[in-house]
Amino acid sequence: MTATAPTLFDDPVVPPLRRILNSFRGPVGSISATLVVTLLVGLIWVGPSFFSPSNIQIVGVSVAIPLIVGVMASFALLAGVVDLSIGSMVGFGAVVFNQLVATGMNAWLVALITVGVGVVVGLTNAFVIVRFGAEPLAVTLGMLTLLRGLSQVVVVSAPPSTLIEPLYNVTQGAIAGFPTLLLIGIGVTLIAAGIVSKTRIGRKVQAVGGDDRAAARAGISVSKVRVIALVASSVGAAVGGILYVGQLGSASNVLGTGLEFQIYAALMIGGYSITRGGVGNPIGGLLGLLVVAGITNILNVTFTDPNYLDLITAIILVAAVLVDRFRGGDAFE
Amino acid sequence: MTTSLITPADPAAPQSPGGAKLRRPDSRGLPVSARDALSITGVWALLIIATTIVRPDFLSTQSLLAVTFTMSISGILAVSQAIIVISGGLLDLSLPVSLILSAWATVTALNNGLPTAVAIPIGIVTGMAWGGLNGLIVVFGKLNPIIVTLATGFGGLAVMLIFFKSAQIPSTSELRLYGLGRFLGLPNIFWPMLIVIVLGGLAFAYTRWGRRLIAVGGNPSAAKARGINLRRMRFASFIGAGAVAGLAGVMFSAVTPSFTPAAGASFQLIVIGAVILAGISLSGGKGNLLVLVLSVGFLATIPTSIAFFGLAPAWALVFQGALLIIAVGIDGYRLKRTAR
Repeated sequence: MTATAPTLFDDPVVPPLRRILNSFRGPVGSISATLVVTLLVGLIWVGPSFFSPSNIQIVGVSVAIPLIVGVMASFALLAGVVDLSIGSMVGFGAVVFNQLVATGMNAWLVALITVGVGVVVGLTNAFVIVRFGAEPLAVTLGMLTLLRGLSQVVVVSAPPSTLIEPLYNVTQGAIAGFPTLLLIGIGVTLIAAGIVSKTRIGRKVQAVGGDDRAAARAGISVSKVRVIALVASSVGAAVGGILYVGQLGSASNVLGTGLEFQIYAALMIGGYSITRGGVGNPIGGLLGLLVVAGITNILNVTFTDPNYLDLITAIILVAAVLVDRFRGGDAFE
Repeated sequence: MTTSLITPADPAAPQSPGGAKLRRPDSRGLPVSARDALSITGVWALLIIATTIVRPDFLSTQSLLAVTFTMSISGILAVSQAIIVISGGLLDLSLPVSLILSAWATVTALNNGLPTAVAIPIGIVTGMAWGGLNGLIVVFGKLNPIIVTLATGFGGLAVMLIFFKSAQIPSTSELRLYGLGRFLGLPNIFWPMLIVIVLGGLAFAYTRWGRRLIAVGGNPSAAKARGINLRRMRFASFIGAGAVAGLAGVMFSAVTPSFTPAAGASFQLIVIGAVILAGISLSGGKGNLLVLVLSVGFLATIPTSIAFFGLAPAWALVFQGALLIIAVGIDGYRLKRTAR
């Protein structure tokens, strides 16, 4: 699970301890250090109650949905196409799901429709980006606005509230003291990490993101990989929307606004890059999200102005890309 | 891809008359910028005609005022964004902060009894300082401007939210009265926008700095080989763009009786959309400010048209988003075709 560049051939045999240490030398190492610092600050400032089960539950519930959305979106980043529309897609997915469930339709069918909407949005992004070679950032910025507009068209005033028993249990429940949703999120992360580092598909995605021309010469269908990555990103966001409805019992037309910035900041802190593909690992993304969630929690518990969170995130983000550049990442000019 | 773009890398090289930066003829012999101008004017005319057919009262002074009013601040901000994009700085995502910070500085100066002639430069200098901060991080950190301005964008908004909740301009100040007034039938603030666009367009075409900016954006290594200092140019482009955004902030404070730190967010998309729609490619080195004023006008007409069609205001977002997607699609397709 190294976060360094993928090797096409088998690595030379390295002793297990060395291997573990090596895996901490990349971005995952610096982000782990940041996480440890965050936890220490929490322990000193907040006290032992920082690690109390109820507090872990709060952090876990707040981090789980961004984690699932972020891990799915990280495939697009890895393939070298950034998808800025995920925040609006979370909101629009939630609005579609909530409104249709409120009409009395079967929740499973509605969930399927919502995922279908995610597929359509992902395919639209992919069509313009891959077929016409348009700038992903600009296309998905357009999609961000379009979906936000649609949410506001559908939900004008107060949205209906819905309570779906099984979904509520999943999103708010706990297994052995750990929030169920967080366990699901970690499961998704581990599966994604396995796909990225151990399978042919994962290597193809990394290759396409790293150098699409070389990947094309190696016989990889660049378009296919990018289409799949963009659809995965949108579908992940749609699922995130459904989970938010389960958690909140409703969906307003501003749900998910700015979520993409939080998620991408966390992913970049975790070693991803929004300007070049092929780098990053879902584990790093998980750690990045935990750092941001940890800081949020410290600020909440100590009743600090939540605006400091965005400021701290911004500083960590710049520091993270700076560290990445010193480590050999692309320099701008 | 960029090598196929003919870029005037030499600032001293003779420039074709008319000032169009890229007279890259297409199959019909029209320069690309002229074709862009024609197509945007066409779509704009279609929108106006369609709205007029549905609601004949659309063609009124009231609509004209609404559209030109919307155009004013977006237009100045679009020039600021265009300076960054043309010079190869990709995008400045922190423009909303730039706008509100300058507006806040202007208003604060006025509230402290400073004369208008001092308050306006304070606003512009604040914009320059903000641009300078972004430029410093980009140049000395050698970091990608999109990431840097993404971070300074939400970090800056957070700082503003910590320091002020809302700002009011003194209702009897000269600047406020200026913002309420009209000149030649159009809102006062429309004219500074026009002047900025004309001056900006002339500066890009005829001054040494302007041509150097285009050169740096179009082909950095060629520009460097010609002895242009890339880092100094990049820093200067951020300061210059900041000054323009500062002016937008001053105008914004003149027309807005009270604003919150988050008030700038709504400009983000219309500005980026206008720049891309105008054919100012994100790959840098090309663009025409005349086309920019047309695309700002077109995008500014959409909300008014939506209102006349009797649709909810949110539809404006849907249309602007869809248009941006189509515009970048066309831009990408064109780049792909010329690369072949």
